[in-house]
Amino acid sequence: MDIRKVKKLIELLESSDIDELEIREGEESVRLSRHDRSGAGHPLVLHQSPLVAPAAAAPGPAPAAEDAPSFDGHVVTAPMVGTFYVAPSPGAKPFVEVGKRIQSGDTVCIIEAMKILNQIEADVDGVVADVLVENGQPVEFGQPLFVIDIGES
Amino acid sequence: MHKLDPLLRLLADGRFHSGAALGEAIGIGRSGVWKQIRALEAMGLEVHAVQGKGYRLTAPLELLDRDAILARVERSRARKLRGVEIFYRIDSTNRYLMQRAADGLEGPYLCLAESQSAGRGRRGRSWISPFGRNLYLSLLWRFQLGADALPALSLVAGVAVAAALEDTGVAGIGIKWPNDLVHGGRKLGGVLIELAGEASGPWDAVVGVGLNIDMKDLNDLGIDQPWTDLRTALDRRPQRNRIAATVVDALMKALPQFEEAGFAPFEQSFRRFDVTRGREVELHQGANRIKRGLSLGVGEHGALLLQSEAGISQVTSGEISLRIPE
Repeated sequence: MDIRKVKKLIELLESSDIDELEIREGEESVRLSRHDRSGAGHPLVLHQSPLVAPAAAAPGPAPAAEDAPSFDGHVVTAPMVGTFYVAPSPGAKPFVEVGKRIQSGDTVCIIEAMKILNQIEADVDGVVADVLVENGQPVEFGQPLFVIDIGES
Repeated sequence: MHKLDPLLRLLADGRFHSGAALGEAIGIGRSGVWKQIRALEAMGLEVHAVQGKGYRLTAPLELLDRDAILARVERSRARKLRGVEIFYRIDSTNRYLMQRAADGLEGPYLCLAESQSAGRGRRGRSWISPFGRNLYLSLLWRFQLGADALPALSLVAGVAVAAALEDTGVAGIGIKWPNDLVHGGRKLGGVLIELAGEASGPWDAVVGVGLNIDMKDLNDLGIDQPWTDLRTALDRRPQRNRIAATVVDALMKALPQFEEAGFAPFEQSFRRFDVTRGREVELHQGANRIKRGLSLGVGEHGALLLQSEAGISQVTSGEISLRIPE
């Protein structure tokens, strides 16, 4: 990565309240941090490493159990690891949208893994209150996908 | 029978037929013939019209034929099929059978199409499906299996099709995990499975096979990766009904075996076809490359074992590519 770019990033970090900044560009990543480890001053720590990503660096959310936000309603979680799709095929109408009333057994999304498209079904009746994952994103086992409001049914 | 069937069967030989002769053979006037010719063109067929000679297809055509296919499927297996449907054109044979299953249809049930308007590949890609050239085949099957055993079905179906093609004389066929069929480093076909059911089963699975059979002289298909076809791999014109029957027979033999004994009976065969094992690969998720490493082959449930600096991980999601193409 161009050293001038790094310098700009340092300036950006200094002029902000941000403690840590990580930028990825192709194979490279730069992480700038102002964490005060020595207790003196605000040294900027610079790591630059090619992105031979360890498993943990794969884009994916934190495990559902830890600091999971609490949802106001029933949560449909991913029964498997895979790629999340909102519609049966590209450009097609999504299975569900916020505000849609659904019944237990209705297909709400597809999770693809190993070229198997798994239709995921709702396990309750209710109204879709939130869709928590974007189309085409990877999901982890147990990750919340939808919030279903079951109150009014 | 499709209304264009009589005309298409006459034209299938690829020779010239006069409008008058065609009209007489199928009992319609010349303008009726002309209309039907236009309808064939609308389906993507290329028709050559020459003054004084008549019409011909620019390439001969072997239409899919239910009886011709069933005659070549082992009898006890053919009897198990609850139905066979062949469409001239459908959005997607997989989608059709998934819909039928949702409406209560139980497999084994077979669906084929001469062309698809919305053929499906993975990651929301479309599968290019010109009329009468290739194989688009879906088999609906009901499994009584636990959810953890099912992913390997993806590899089992790939192995079954690869072995069937090998039996018809294709040498050097390979599988890129999980089930892309490759020949000479180019994509020949693939399997896409759709699944619906409860965690404890039963599961309705639609096993969809897309196979490039004869794409000769088709240009501008808009396919975004290196591809090949069986005609190239065999160095002769393949017979589509024969290939279809071979694939159906192989799947109907493999699926009960998989239900009975899981992936184990297929592991050796997969290893033989596996083009990634022992090679440097990249794992992509969407547009992002998320890992690089050495493929160690597959584990017991069909997950790819990838050795990287972080250790050995089991890959079940994402797409693998060889770092150095064959």
